[in-house]
Amino acid sequence: MSAEAAVRAPGTAPAEWFTRAVLRNGPLGGLVALVAVMAVLSRDFLHGRNLLNVGVQASVTAVLAFGVTFVIVSAGIDLSVGSVAALSATVTAWAATSQGLPVVAALPLGLAVGVVAGLVSGALVAYGRLPAFIATLAMLSVARGLSLVISGGSPIAFPSALNHLGDTLGGWLPVPVLVTVAMGLLAALVLARTYTGRAMFAIGGNEEAARLSGIDVKRRKLVVYALSGLFAAVAGIVLAARLTSAQPQAATGYELDAIAAVVIGGASLSGGSGKASGTLIGALILAVLRNGLNLLSVSAFWQQVATGLVIAMAVLLDTLRRRSTR
Amino acid sequence: MTGVNDDVRPGREGPPGRAELLRVEGVTKAFPGVKALDGVDLRLLAGEVHVLLGENGAGKSTLIKMLAGAHRPDTGRIVVGGREVAVRSAQDAERLGIATIHQEFNLVPGLTVAENVFLGRQPRNRLGLVDRRTMNERAARLLERVRLRVPPTAPVAGLGIAALQMVEIAKALSLDARVLIMDEPTAVLTSGEVATLFGIVRELRDSGVGVVFITHHLEEIAALGDRVTVLRDGRSVAEVPASTAEDELIRLMVGRDVTEQYPRRRTPAGAPLLRVRGLTRRGVAGAPGFEDVDLEVRAGEVVGLAGLVGAGRTEVARAVFGVDRYTAGSVEVDGRVLRPGDVRAAMRAGVGLVPEDRKAQGLLLDAPLHDNLTLARLHRDTRAGLVDRRAQRREAAAMAGRLKVRMSGLEQPARTLSGGNQQKVVIGKWLLAGVRLLILDEPTRGVDVGAKVEIYRLVNELTAAGCGVLMVSSDLPEVLGMSDRVLVMARGRVVGEVPGGDQGPAAQDAVMELAVRHAEGTETGGETGGQTGGEAGRQTGRETGRQTGGDKGNTSAMEGSDVG
Amino acid sequence: MRRRGRGATASAAVLLVLGLGLGTTGCDRGGNTDLGLALSTMNNPFFVGIKKGAQAEAKARGLKINITDAQNDPTQQINQMETFTSQNVKAAIINPVDSDAAVPAVGVANRADVPVVSIDRGVNGGRVGTTIASDNVEGGRLAARSLAAALGGRGRVVVLEGQPGTSAARERGKGFEEGVREFPGIEVVARQPADFDRAKGMDVMANLLQAHRGVTGVFAANDEMALGAAKALGSSAGGKVKVVGFDGTPDGIAAVRDGTLTATVAQQPELLGRQAVDRALRAARGERLPKTVKVPVVLVTRKNAAEFGG
Repeated sequence: MSAEAAVRAPGTAPAEWFTRAVLRNGPLGGLVALVAVMAVLSRDFLHGRNLLNVGVQASVTAVLAFGVTFVIVSAGIDLSVGSVAALSATVTAWAATSQGLPVVAALPLGLAVGVVAGLVSGALVAYGRLPAFIATLAMLSVARGLSLVISGGSPIAFPSALNHLGDTLGGWLPVPVLVTVAMGLLAALVLARTYTGRAMFAIGGNEEAARLSGIDVKRRKLVVYALSGLFAAVAGIVLAARLTSAQPQAATGYELDAIAAVVIGGASLSGGSGKASGTLIGALILAVLRNGLNLLSVSAFWQQVATGLVIAMAVLLDTLRRRSTR
Repeated sequence: MTGVNDDVRPGREGPPGRAELLRVEGVTKAFPGVKALDGVDLRLLAGEVHVLLGENGAGKSTLIKMLAGAHRPDTGRIVVGGREVAVRSAQDAERLGIATIHQEFNLVPGLTVAENVFLGRQPRNRLGLVDRRTMNERAARLLERVRLRVPPTAPVAGLGIAALQMVEIAKALSLDARVLIMDEPTAVLTSGEVATLFGIVRELRDSGVGVVFITHHLEEIAALGDRVTVLRDGRSVAEVPASTAEDELIRLMVGRDVTEQYPRRRTPAGAPLLRVRGLTRRGVAGAPGFEDVDLEVRAGEVVGLAGLVGAGRTEVARAVFGVDRYTAGSVEVDGRVLRPGDVRAAMRAGVGLVPEDRKAQGLLLDAPLHDNLTLARLHRDTRAGLVDRRAQRREAAAMAGRLKVRMSGLEQPARTLSGGNQQKVVIGKWLLAGVRLLILDEPTRGVDVGAKVEIYRLVNELTAAGCGVLMVSSDLPEVLGMSDRVLVMARGRVVGEVPGGDQGPAAQDAVMELAVRHAEGTETGGETGGQTGGEAGRQTGRETGRQTGGDKGNTSAMEGSDVG
Repeated sequence: MRRRGRGATASAAVLLVLGLGLGTTGCDRGGNTDLGLALSTMNNPFFVGIKKGAQAEAKARGLKINITDAQNDPTQQINQMETFTSQNVKAAIINPVDSDAAVPAVGVANRADVPVVSIDRGVNGGRVGTTIASDNVEGGRLAARSLAAALGGRGRVVVLEGQPGTSAARERGKGFEEGVREFPGIEVVARQPADFDRAKGMDVMANLLQAHRGVTGVFAANDEMALGAAKALGSSAGGKVKVVGFDGTPDGIAAVRDGTLTATVAQQPELLGRQAVDRALRAARGERLPKTVKVPVVLVTRKNAAEFGG
């Protein structure tokens, strides 16, 4: 159907071709367009190293956003992921560095903290019937506060064994990129092939219909937020590994980047749609933009303007595309 | 054979001379993959009720959305008051004097009746603040015109569906609409409420308003309409007088003869499948209760559940399926007691529910059809946490084929299907889940004649395979025609049983007699106080109208009205 | 508390949590409070340093000080000033979340005739006795000179700016500009914001390295960004590329000690805190104070790093 729409449009002007290509392919088209623009404007952009940099810089947002994708697909929202990421990293560092726990114990502990934070948010939403916005806003504050309490407000050195998560393999392949790919594949698998994943789409599409079709809505919501917490924990640990220290203030405001990535990636905030690949593209769009603006030496004030415009443009394009195919 | 007022209002067939309000000429509209409208003409005159008739998917909704400013025609013209116009938005439609009452109401639940009527146009005082007194006074006058006895300051949230519709009409009146479009206004009303509605529509018509009226109930056409435009596959195939015989209208609409309206094939009843004993729940605000309900469905049997709206039928169906809890009694399937309030337990026992409101409770509207069809078997298709999507697709494709769902493909979102096809998908979902007892709640509401018969054939297939069916329906000929036994409920109790198979007037009378006799009396309910008693009267009125089919005298229906 | 009346709607839960918080932090609510210190945030070692200094000074003088945390919310700061005035403090110290938004908070104290001094940031209105602040502009100059010295007067330099719109970002950048002008051999090739954030400092540095070859020096407007930049530079940090930070946080000083950072411009938060208490008391006695009190900044290099505990 979209092909039909494309064929109908006559004319071969490059601008028109370009617009059509972007419209047809949604988020991917947006990314390609942005990359093309950056490549034209900056000679340094298309270098392999720079592209790997972009990958690394997208990694934390992407992993957070994969987790948020689950929540948004099921028509919820998770504002706590940035704080939960910081809390998980702080707990991991605190356990290993301050308490002397071996890394094999500290790492699972950090991940468990993320899961527990998610379970608490999920329980407030599913059983406490709090709006997801409020429940996760509360968790945003609680998790940030706890990471400050545990760290005493100062950064804690990250266990050196885990710092390899922020390194490169063979001197060039960044581990955060590998983690992102792995978490992305996991997210795609969860969404497309697992019971919980399919239930997310059903709950997000029509919660009442899902319930009347035998989906255990409450328990699935619990799992959804727990997954989001788990992904946040992984993101927090990757972030801390990159910095070689766990900072209580790390990832502040990242939840908004994550939500933006998910929405740029084509998910609807009203639930029922979303893809891991789209979310990855969304995170890449944000990273390419920031990288490109640095390369181009755009002034600090204009960078914020540009970022906002690109977010709005990306979602607008996707809306237009959907309307033209519907 | 037109309405009763025919003699006093000669020329209702729409002779030249009466002012033309609205003309649609050769309008087409294509959506990707579908040609929704393919050459539609419509001519609406002042002071007529013009019925728009067609199966689901024939293009009625697209046409009225176009007139309401939601869609724009690809080709063709819309002429209002002799001038070609472009209706680009709801505001344009409002300016042109076109008001539309959609099936889903555009009311804000948290606001009062008056605020809704004047939403966005509240009268202001000198300070620019909302002048509540003026607003409420004007609203009160409008409410009187639609014979709605609620205070203008009542919140909309507490009103019943019929009252909501009256509020919508009041809103249209406040806009001085010359053209009033009503999309299946009677689908959700009880017979008595329908009678009231008809009275109001007639008044509007007599005051010169042109009404476009969409309905699936053929008997309403002769009772209310002047002329009929029939749509089929996006084309207007005929413009005929409302007095045209029902068979002929069906033939025009479907494009072929529908010989048998209720093709029930009985199967010998087997062992008891469902046994409900003493089921009781106290009513709460908005949901009537039920008391000491006993019922049994045997394998191969269709048991109907008839009664007035508010008699507690839907509530019993939901309780049996484990959606709502109950305070006493038990539900047994195959002799095993089901855990109350546990949908999954009911599903494991082989029970399925096709809910009353398929859009709100039955479908993932924006999800593809294969997801909708396999939703209730998600557990069964999951091995070690992973869903076998290939098997799901295969099953969904097979089911869609078996049900003859009219679609462009399994990826099509459920929202874009017609009502009948949507309902087939909901039923298909339960067939794929392997139900043995299917509960159907108003299975053919908003479903066209062709799809109705297909749904009835499915019921036959199910019972032939040894399944049981419990059918809640307000459509008396349907529930009588398709059931083997009909239980009648009134005020939360089962008050009697009527044998099925015969949908003639006598059988209908028997059901109504039971329903009404037990419904009379004391029950009151807030805003729409004393409705139950009155409702009974109205229901009788309507059924009388329906039975007397031949002459279609709807005067009795008028008498049944109590809203005013 | 005067505002209790308005708090009639405050739920029991809030009071419970409040009580819990006060209980566990061991806040002493009894007796008379002499001074109030309204901090913008305690989520940053720098402000924790101010708090420590103020506490130590107050203790030395046998005074009771009430220290509050506005969590970077200017509105909370107004409420906290109201609390101070109803506690009849002798003087109030405000560390504005925002120089403009602090005006009403100062107004509260002015109306109650409680003298106010501000610390770290100025207030653009109201009657403020004095403003005690680190000399950020001088610090920027110091950083420029130390970077130029480390580079031998020649080199290509990038600047990591702080959060756009903040006074610290502006003043430090300005001082660095002024300082670097004295060295014609130093070329500033890029100036990009990294929002005072370590992870962002790292990402922005990595990006700038792509666009600009032969960078030999970095000035970061705080230590967090400097540490991030050093991480992005890897082994060349401190070697081929000299990095100078600002703030003198424990992490920053440790990095100076092991050579990854060439220098950092240390503020002296505890001195700021002590000075603030001192000036506040003078204001309470009615002394006339200068409009601003600049607390000196100190350049920390490998030589003197040991003096700064870190």
